[in-house]
Formats: sequence, structure tokens, C-alpha cells
Amino acid sequence: MRGIAMAMKKFINKREDLVKELLEGYALAFPRKVRLAGSNLVVRARPKAAGKVGVVTLGGSGHEPALSGFVGEGMLDVSVPGEIFAAPGPPRVFEALKTADRGAGVLFIVLNHAGDVMAAKVVMEMVKKQGLNVKMVLTHEDIAGGPRDKPDSRRGLVGCVPVMKIAGAAAEAGRPLDECLAAAERASENMATLAVAMSPATHPSTGQALFALADDEMEIGLGQHGEPGTGSMKIKTADETADAMLGRLLADLRVNRGEQLLVLLNGAGATTLMELFVVYRRAARVLKEKGIVLARGAVDEFLTVQEMAGFQMCIVRMDDDLLKLWDAPCDTPYLVVR
Amino acid sequence: MTETIGRDELVRMLRGAVEKVRAGHEGLSRLDSAIGDGDHGTTMLRAMGLVEKTIVERPSAQGRDRQGAAPFPPRPLRALLNDVGWAVMGVDGGAAGPLLGSLLMGMAEGVGERQELDAAALADAFEAGLASVRRYSQAQVGDKTMMDALVPAVEALRAAAGAGQGAAAALAAAALSAEKGAAATADMCARFGRARNLGERSRGFADPGATSMALIFRGFADGLAAAR
Repeated sequence: MRGIAMAMKKFINKREDLVKELLEGYALAFPRKVRLAGSNLVVRARPKAAGKVGVVTLGGSGHEPALSGFVGEGMLDVSVPGEIFAAPGPPRVFEALKTADRGAGVLFIVLNHAGDVMAAKVVMEMVKKQGLNVKMVLTHEDIAGGPRDKPDSRRGLVGCVPVMKIAGAAAEAGRPLDECLAAAERASENMATLAVAMSPATHPSTGQALFALADDEMEIGLGQHGEPGTGSMKIKTADETADAMLGRLLADLRVNRGEQLLVLLNGAGATTLMELFVVYRRAARVLKEKGIVLARGAVDEFLTVQEMAGFQMCIVRMDDDLLKLWDAPCDTPYLVVR
Repeated sequence: MTETIGRDELVRMLRGAVEKVRAGHEGLSRLDSAIGDGDHGTTMLRAMGLVEKTIVERPSAQGRDRQGAAPFPPRPLRALLNDVGWAVMGVDGGAAGPLLGSLLMGMAEGVGERQELDAAALADAFEAGLASVRRYSQAQVGDKTMMDALVPAVEALRAAAGAGQGAAAALAAAALSAEKGAAATADMCARFGRARNLGERSRGFADPGATSMALIFRGFADGLAAAR
């Protein structure tokens, strides 16, 4: 299955320079919002006011704009990019936590992937030893990974974006660390995401396809590194795909009539906004029929997997406070709310 | 035969590991291409570069001669292992760095204040290292991970020490067990890491992490056995 020879067509220079060069270019592209600091940490161009909670995340590169695209006022203070699809090492993460601490502690957002979690565990031990004030929240909302009562089996997908937005807004509003954590956890525990893939991506360092799918097939539940889903099937229409995915998400999260949802559609890299809007329109119609309130929505590329075709559908059950935090202003390279 | 491990011997062990992994890194990447994402060889190569850099004694910032000409005391074993472990953790290549780093940092705790390790003390150190790895990984022997090389190696080391063998002979036994354990992973179905996604298709290839762990133990043993 692996090692499928696909001719890789990417604009890169030396593979070993890829992450360094992409970060350099990213910082140059948004000089008023972000800069590189220390050992290739992405930090806000203007640091947060002292006395406010810092927000930090970590994760492999190759998923642009995630995660560094959301560093900026009202969201992340620091992101620690790793190598392609690989977590950064604990020393840089520890440095990031210290950098982000403005005297009120740090909220540390981690997506449930083995390498990320391992780095986070090591770092949290260091935090304890050195007496830093850091609270960690783990996102694990991929319903294809396993049942809701086994959160360890569920990977963190694009749901990290609303969690970062909500945590960042709470921190910017001057809420203490425990309240920022509570808001982030409330969002995290009230969301569900499902991915669908139509064609694979190549690993930009190795040139290998991450998985294989026949030309006329798609697979629901496939993870962002090719983790298997619920088996491949013949390609369905936008409406059929939206129905199948939304139905499973609503059932998993046990969404009731009258509840308010945030619906986020995330393009995986090669799927067009055109297609995503068609899917979103169907999702909105289904929710209306079920008497569920589509309170907020977003359609964009937040967390990509190179040139993978497919998308992730994420729903978050919102309360009034979460809506307030979602609507609060933020100014990052890839998410701006005014 | 070397009966005990002091600072020079530990440095020889670490250099031996660097050498073995360097020589074998392409093979590691080939294995990882078969069942992972193909980057294990280059990750380990970067990790070994960090090991090599960190074992060199340098004057630290505090109160040393600026020219670096004045003699300075080398780090105690514990500090050396701790520094090397922390450096390896910084390799930015997913789980490999934290796992190998925590093995070395756990060994540092196991060594404690000792500056000369006999085979039993060396077994203590490796057992402490293994315990540290277990804090971050739930993988057991048979799951097709680095544990399949590390666990039998540590057991063999302890057994050899118990049988009254010297440190060099005990490490040689550990290296053999690690190699056997790594080879046996070829028949296993992966239950951890990204290879798990392949399920049954992961059979037929040795686990890259177990293979690199075996290379490290072979390097420890050969590095120690090599003439100064």
C-alpha cells in the first residue's frame, strides 16, 4: 500500500530545508501579525498585554495554514511547528510555554496524535518540576476513531480551530486561566468532526502517497495522515455525502432540536470552495429540517493535508458564552473577526 | 573486557551508537517507507548528530575561561546522560525523540550520583530508563514497537549482571537480545504508531523503531568493546 510511486509535483527546494523555508516565508508574508522567535517558534508580532493568559499549541508542519496561521491577537500567542507531519520536540515546546507566559499562566492546546501527546506529556512534567502555571486541553473529536466514551482513540482534527478561537478570546478578555480552560474544554467536549477523502496526498519529504484510493472511490473517516476510516465506497454526490456525514455527527453528539451549532467545513487541500459551499448548503438545509439552529458557520481551508482531496465537517454545540467568544474580535493571518 | 563503566566508557558507548545508526540510517528509512511515513532514518540521523554535539565537553557560561583554554571538570555521568537525553528530545521528529530522550534521561536518574557503574548498576540505569519510556508509551512487547528490542535488551543485561558478568559482556548480551527482538517484529502486526493504520499489511517488515533501538544497543556494545 505504501511506497506507491506517484510523481510528486511540488515547488520545494531541498527537502531538509522545507520547514525552515516555509516558516521564513510565512513570517515575511504577515510581518504585522507574526514573527519567528527563539528556535523557530511562531509568535505574535505584538505580544499580549501582561497579566493575560497565554495560549500555545504545537503540531507537525505540512497542514498549512494550521496551526501557525492562527497566531495573532485573540487566538494563539505561540505555535510550535514540528517537521512535516511530525510533532516538535519537548525542548522547543517548553520554550514556547515560557515565552507565552505573561504572568497569568498558559493554556496549552494539544491535538490528540501520538507524537504530539508524547511531547506534551514530557513538557507537562517539566512544567510541574519547574512550577510553571500551565493547563493543558486535549482535542479529540474525530468520531471515526472510536466511541465517545473512549476519547483516547479519537484524533484531533480541525476542531482545534474553534477551540483556539474560544480559548484565545477568553484569554484576550482577561479571564483567569481556570476560566479559559473551562471554556476551551466546554467547546472541546461539545464537538464532533468527520473527514472524507477522495484522493491522497504525497508526503513532501518522502514523495510517497499517504494512502491509496481508487479513482472512483472515496472514504469517510479517513484521518489527516491516512489513518483508515470506515472503508472505501463509490463516490457519492455532495448532498449524499453531506447527509451521511452530518447524520453521524448529530447522532454522536446527540444534538437535540432547538440546540445551536457552529458548523465548520474544512477543505483538505485539493477540494474546491465551490464543492464545500454546495455541501454547506445541504448541511444547512438538513439542520433546518431537524429544527436545529445553525448559529454560526465557516467554510475555508483551515487545516490541510497537502493536495489531499476531501474535507472535514466539524460541528460544535454552542452556548451563549461560547457564541460570545466565537464572535469576539481576532486578527490572525488566517482568521480575522472584527 | 571492560568490567565497569566510567565517563570515558559511557562516551565510547554513545559514540558507538552514533556510528551504528549513521551506518544504518538508510535501511531505517526503507523500513519506515514500507510501514510508516519514511522519515525514521533521517530523524535518527538528526538525533545522533545532537548526541555527538552534546557529548563534547565545553566550558559552560558560568565562570569559565573565555578562551576555553583553561581546563574544566567534565560533567558527572548523570548530567551527561541528562544533557544528551534532552538534546535528543529536541529532534522534532514525532515520537522517536521523546522516547529515546526519555530513555537516556531516565538512565540519568537511575545512575544518580554514581561515577563508576558495574554491570548491576548499568542494569539499574537501563531499568530506570525503561521505566521512564513506559511513562510515555503504553506499548508492550509484541506490539511491533521499539519496546520489542528495548525490553529484551534490558532483561538480558540484568540477567548477565546477575550471572556475575562484567559490563562489557552484559552489554554484548543486551545487543544480541535487542537484535533478536527487532528481527522478530517482522512477523508482528502493528498496534501502535502510524504503522497501526496498516494493520495486517504491516506484517513482513521489521519495525523501524525496534531496528534503530537494536542498532543503538549494538553501538553501545561495540563502542565499549573497541580499543580506546
